[in-house]
Amino acid sequence: MATQDAQSATSSQRLDKETREKLVTVVRHTVLLGWSFVVLFPLYWLVSMSLKPPGQANSLPPDWIFLPTVYNYIQLAQQSDFLAAFANSVVMVAASVVLVLLIGVPAAYVLSRYDIPMQRDVLVWILSSRMLPPIAVVIPFFVIFRALNLFDTRIGMVLMYVSINLSLVVWVMKAFFDGIPETLEEAARVDGATQFQGFRKVVLPAAKPGIFSVAIISFIFAWIELLFGLVLTSFEAVPVTLFVYSFIGSRSIEWSMLAAASTAMIIPVVVFLVAVNKYLAAGLSFGVVIKE
Amino acid sequence: MSTPTQTETASKTPLTRVRDLWNDYLPYWFMAPMVLVMVMITFFPGAYDLYLSLIAEPTFNVFEAEFVGLSNFETAFTRGGAFHSFVITITVVVSALLLESALGFVLAALVAGVESGRAKSFYRVLFIVPMAVAPVSLATIGRIMLNSEIGIIPYVIETGTPFAAPNFLSEVPLLTVILLDTWNWTPFMFIIFYAGLSSVPDTLVEASRVDGAPLWRRYVHVIIPYMKTVVFVAVLIRLIDLFRTFGVVYGLTNGGPGTATQLVSINIYEQMFINNQLGVAAAIAIVYLVLVVALCNVIIAKVGFEGVWD
Repeated sequence: MATQDAQSATSSQRLDKETREKLVTVVRHTVLLGWSFVVLFPLYWLVSMSLKPPGQANSLPPDWIFLPTVYNYIQLAQQSDFLAAFANSVVMVAASVVLVLLIGVPAAYVLSRYDIPMQRDVLVWILSSRMLPPIAVVIPFFVIFRALNLFDTRIGMVLMYVSINLSLVVWVMKAFFDGIPETLEEAARVDGATQFQGFRKVVLPAAKPGIFSVAIISFIFAWIELLFGLVLTSFEAVPVTLFVYSFIGSRSIEWSMLAAASTAMIIPVVVFLVAVNKYLAAGLSFGVVIKE
Repeated sequence: MSTPTQTETASKTPLTRVRDLWNDYLPYWFMAPMVLVMVMITFFPGAYDLYLSLIAEPTFNVFEAEFVGLSNFETAFTRGGAFHSFVITITVVVSALLLESALGFVLAALVAGVESGRAKSFYRVLFIVPMAVAPVSLATIGRIMLNSEIGIIPYVIETGTPFAAPNFLSEVPLLTVILLDTWNWTPFMFIIFYAGLSSVPDTLVEASRVDGAPLWRRYVHVIIPYMKTVVFVAVLIRLIDLFRTFGVVYGLTNGGPGTATQLVSINIYEQMFINNQLGVAAAIAIVYLVLVVALCNVIIAKVGFEGVWD
């Protein structure tokens, strides 16, 4: 009798466990699919609006089924302002990424390999450049850029973009270099290589995934930046974010073209993000999480 | 003994001398550009903001500037609405940080528990996508979807529920801003928490499960303490970046209606470019800068960076 009770108890417990696990799975996927919807719907809405003819874009109830057209994109491409701003952003952001890597990666190598006095303070100081609110940084640069004729130039914007990402590059790359065993360079030095050759031919290739991911994350942070463009450019060096902003501000908004401009801005970044998704955690956490 | 050295020095061409200089002082060459840029983007703006905040208006010759003491600060905090914008900023930063952390963690924990590998990587990749949306594009999306005349969301609320839709941009602008930022940046927390959760050894999770501890207690007492460095860093970096918020609010509401969403950064911008009060803008900027840097450094010092690097 007692054993029977015990048996039925365990079997009912097991049943409970099974139903509970099933329930957990159902709840889990309901929540995750719900969030997927939250993530996707605004993007779907934006893209579908950009593919609707202007007259149809704002109709409510919405036309769920419509004949997609690239009309808005053609209109957009015919706006020289948009093309210039897009090209500006590509050139300025890409140049800033190259420059920030040239400045940041060697410094990160030194911070990783040498005993620097007050290393911890140096690293926190570097991080503190990120803590400075951009609006507080941009006031002095606004004054100085006017004096130096850097106002509304691409070079000026490149420098500002470097300032956003330098701390990120140094921190992430230091973490990556820390993970590369020093014995690699020592072996190269035994073979007669100088320290610099060891860095260039041994350490840099080993750190490639880190450089790749930090380059893309730097690209994104500069690409989405609005404030510097707003304050430091007026015509020549306008980035695409400022173009979109001034589009919002214009009196009669052509919603479907605005949607097309925003979509054009978002798509390259989505591709980049997916490309580095494995190293994203390492990059975004300033190198604190290094895995995979 | 000295002869070979002398001949060696004598035979050095300028090129090899440069090369030696390069190799002997390599760490200095490697550090110099970074230090130079860092000085330029940290000490210089701080000092210059302070200078601008103490003078009437900038002059060509810096020594001719008229010092006005703290009157710019006085203007900022009496007529400039500085205090109000600090309250707004803190409200946005704290609410968004809490929401993003909580949501990011729950999502990361849920995805980490998905059994099928394919479904797992599907969610993992999908959930990072909102980060690709620039704040100003998000403002565009917000303006399109929340618009009280053409917006799909008010329309769905009106037709699908018994409730009347609020005018998101004029009645609840602060909430709207917070929710949009949450949509935009929860992926940041998600991706770091997810990496942190995958570093928790299975044996640890198993052991706590055998103890029969309820789920929440397993997280609070076992899993989160194990990944506390990751949690700390994610929250700290998001906090730092939240103080930088500008584009989404400026694109969505321009700080309005009135000053309802006037973040400090927007207030400074308006003092500078709409009111043409450079000194007042610099005064608010220096207060903001000092407060944010001090807060972050206190957090770093208090919580400590042990384990963040070795």
